[in-house]
Amino acid sequence: MEALSLRDDVSDKSALAAQNTLQLIAFSIGEQTYGVEITTVREIRAWNGATPLPNTREFVRGVINLRGTIVPIFDLRARFGDGQTSPTKNHVVVVMSVGDKWVGILVDAVSDILTVNRDDIHNVPEGNSIDTELLNGIVTHDSRMVGLIDLHAVVSGAKMDG
Amino acid sequence: MSDLDDFKATYFDECSELLTELEEQFAVIEEGERGADRLNAVFRAIHSIKGGAGAFGFSALVGFAHAYETLLDYVRDGRVELTDDVVVLCIRANDIVADHVNAAQSGEALPVDYGAEEKARFDALARGETGGDDDADADGEMMDDFDIDFTPVMVNLGGSMAEGEAPVEDVFESAPMAAAEGQWEIRFTPHRALYARANDPLLLFRELAALGTMSVRAVLGDVPPLSDFEPFAVYCSWEITLVSPGLSEVSIREVFEFVDGDCDIIIAQAGMVPSLADIGFDISEAPAPAVADAEPDLSSLLALTEEEVANPQEPVAPLADFIPEPPAGPVGAQDSFEEAPVLSFAALAEEIMPAAPPPAPKPPVAKAAPAAGGGESEEGGGRSVGVQSIRVDLDKVDRVVNMVGELVITQSMLTQQMDETLRARYTELVRGLEVLAQTTRGLQDSVMAIRAQPVKSVFSRMPRLVRELATKTSKKIKLETIGENTEIDKTVIEQLSDPLTHMIRNSADHGIEIPEKRLASGKSETGTIRLSAEQAGGNILIIVEDDGGGINRERVLQVARDKGVVAPDVNPTDEQIDQLIFAPGFSTASEVSDISGRGVGMDVVLSNIKKIGGSVHVRSWTGKGTRMTLRLPLTLAVLDVMLVKVGDSPYVVPLSSIVETMQCSRASFERVPSGGRVLQVRGEYVQVIDLGQRFGLATQVQETDQFVVLCETEGSQKVALVVDDIIGQQQVVIKSLEENFERVEGIAGGTILGDGNVALIVDVQGLRTTHLHQNAA
Repeated sequence: MEALSLRDDVSDKSALAAQNTLQLIAFSIGEQTYGVEITTVREIRAWNGATPLPNTREFVRGVINLRGTIVPIFDLRARFGDGQTSPTKNHVVVVMSVGDKWVGILVDAVSDILTVNRDDIHNVPEGNSIDTELLNGIVTHDSRMVGLIDLHAVVSGAKMDG
Repeated sequence: MSDLDDFKATYFDECSELLTELEEQFAVIEEGERGADRLNAVFRAIHSIKGGAGAFGFSALVGFAHAYETLLDYVRDGRVELTDDVVVLCIRANDIVADHVNAAQSGEALPVDYGAEEKARFDALARGETGGDDDADADGEMMDDFDIDFTPVMVNLGGSMAEGEAPVEDVFESAPMAAAEGQWEIRFTPHRALYARANDPLLLFRELAALGTMSVRAVLGDVPPLSDFEPFAVYCSWEITLVSPGLSEVSIREVFEFVDGDCDIIIAQAGMVPSLADIGFDISEAPAPAVADAEPDLSSLLALTEEEVANPQEPVAPLADFIPEPPAGPVGAQDSFEEAPVLSFAALAEEIMPAAPPPAPKPPVAKAAPAAGGGESEEGGGRSVGVQSIRVDLDKVDRVVNMVGELVITQSMLTQQMDETLRARYTELVRGLEVLAQTTRGLQDSVMAIRAQPVKSVFSRMPRLVRELATKTSKKIKLETIGENTEIDKTVIEQLSDPLTHMIRNSADHGIEIPEKRLASGKSETGTIRLSAEQAGGNILIIVEDDGGGINRERVLQVARDKGVVAPDVNPTDEQIDQLIFAPGFSTASEVSDISGRGVGMDVVLSNIKKIGGSVHVRSWTGKGTRMTLRLPLTLAVLDVMLVKVGDSPYVVPLSSIVETMQCSRASFERVPSGGRVLQVRGEYVQVIDLGQRFGLATQVQETDQFVVLCETEGSQKVALVVDDIIGQQQVVIKSLEENFERVEGIAGGTILGDGNVALIVDVQGLRTTHLHQNAA
């Protein structure tokens, strides 16, 4: 339950950062690293179970109680079609705001805060539509590929019949 | 500007209340009850709307309301008879006033001649009756030139008025008409209550001045010697001479309408009473010198009495200094007020007529003054004394409601923590918890009562709708309302307006037949729509019933098949067909509505009602009518539930829908051809829904005993929910799933349990509907 607020200590840094840079929270799923823009992240919490929601796709892990409001949890691994995560206490839920809604994304671990240059964002190579749908772009950090998650796409299509 | 906006918002709030009242009053008047009380209430409402409209410069509204008001005044006087035609005209006029108010609120412009026809009819009515009267000229003038003779004073806050007429300021001479000379003498004696209600005589004078050429004299003869001087008492009165051709007493009285009861007013046509100035002088004789000696300020004031005050603005200026702020003055001495009423001019005039010496005014006035505080309530006998209310921002109430909701949950969590051993050991604690539970319940009920409102506020909008629909469809329709004082949570009420409108429109449009057809089928020419509200346990039932032709099931089924809502090889029961009108997509099926089926906007009804946790059920009898029942929760905030377990997950079932719980073996579930299962409960076969299966959860399949929760849904249809365990009963606060997610089939929402985990609320009605759907598909 160690909720860690990132917003405050980040605001100074982002003020320093030039307009053309982007700060990301990087997290890992298996060997792969993904990132979301830091300003969308509300808090990061340890996995503590969720109440399953019936009649939803497998990547909807259920709902949790976030200080009195009900927040849905999406399993990013399952969203990418790699099967459901078997979460432990070490798994992490990143709570983010998508539009006017708050959602949680279940990931293996949060690894880093990255500052990247907007010019360095590459397009997602055409090919599999899942890639282009779920990723906004790709950046390279420390010679590792970081996929930029399109949150709107991730949380859509949660119901059984789409 | 924001101040003005606040005032405007309040004004529109009041308008909607007043319009509601108008509807109510006319509902009774229409029935044939035509007491003076009713008419007075109507008159007051229209007058208040007009007054506010004038203040904000809504000239179109003022114009119409004034013409209407004049007619009402004539009706009140008996000069115009309140025939059925007039009632119908008045009801139409109410609608027009409502439209004007809406237009003013939204800033939209109505056609310039909107309501002109009705206005002309007011005119004709008034003229027709008053033609032979003595003051025919006066009345004629009033009706024709209401825009001139009524010029409400606009509120001007920091010169921020943008639209409307220019504020009427300091217009003390205006004599626009030329006809028979009319000179009126007015004696205006304000009581203390008038100032206590923050009325300003200046405003009254301005309004009077707008009626004609006016001269005002202050009468300070009542001012006592300083030794008897009461700082908060009212000693000042005025004599006004108003010269205007064709001016009627009614229009003068109208100026004083708002201060009626808080002052004495005598209006007389010149020459009919002895000179008022003389009387004033008589009265002032005794006490005046003493005051003049003692107090320089007062003596300067008194000087005004000696010379006639040519310019009436001057006495008004010192008046502001002379009349103290409405005091938080002495209250009590109520009796003495009755014993010694403020000396009224009427009494005076009677005394003086036979040339008797005037009674010394000093003692009664001095006594009366302190009593005015207590006297107010008596003075305002006609006003709303009974209902004392405050306006509170709904957000503030909601915050309290939410907190009470959380409190209820915490309390029930605490109670749950007490197991048997703890109970035995800490009896004091147990007792404390019991008291806490009681108090919490009480608190919750009280808070809910704050939010509860009679459904009247929604029901009262419906008569107008029915009238309009009847006109549009050339049908004769009567609306009956029952149980309009039933109270429901405000949020529910707000959500009720749209569905009810749709349902009534549907009944009027498709249910009620045209008069010829009704006669042909042996019914009365006039169709009836009955709108009723009643409380049934934890629910409110709102029923819309009509005695029309019923649902054309063949047609509905046909369209449903065409639209693919129902598969071609499925034969739904009559009841299932009836429910089809709520199917999404049916609303757009204009084929149905044009021919005879039902379905205009009915999915809106369903979705709106579902949103607030309610359900809709429709039942139809061919040729006899249709009944639609809305079942609504009494409150939205807290729900009594039964906590059950399905698989590893906690679910809650609203207690209001549970009939009983039981245990039975799986073997007792019988198969039916569709593949579904039924359970026999005391001779009745009930559909079985296995929640584990339905929700795709792994459950421990027990061949032996299974927990079954028997629920009742709309139309007394029962359904048996199979669960893995029944944990207990508790109260929960409903949390929205849609806030951060979306609607989930079979789930009405979520809630947070005492341990912090989320439990889902089972949507029993929804489950049954989709169950039917699945089996039908």
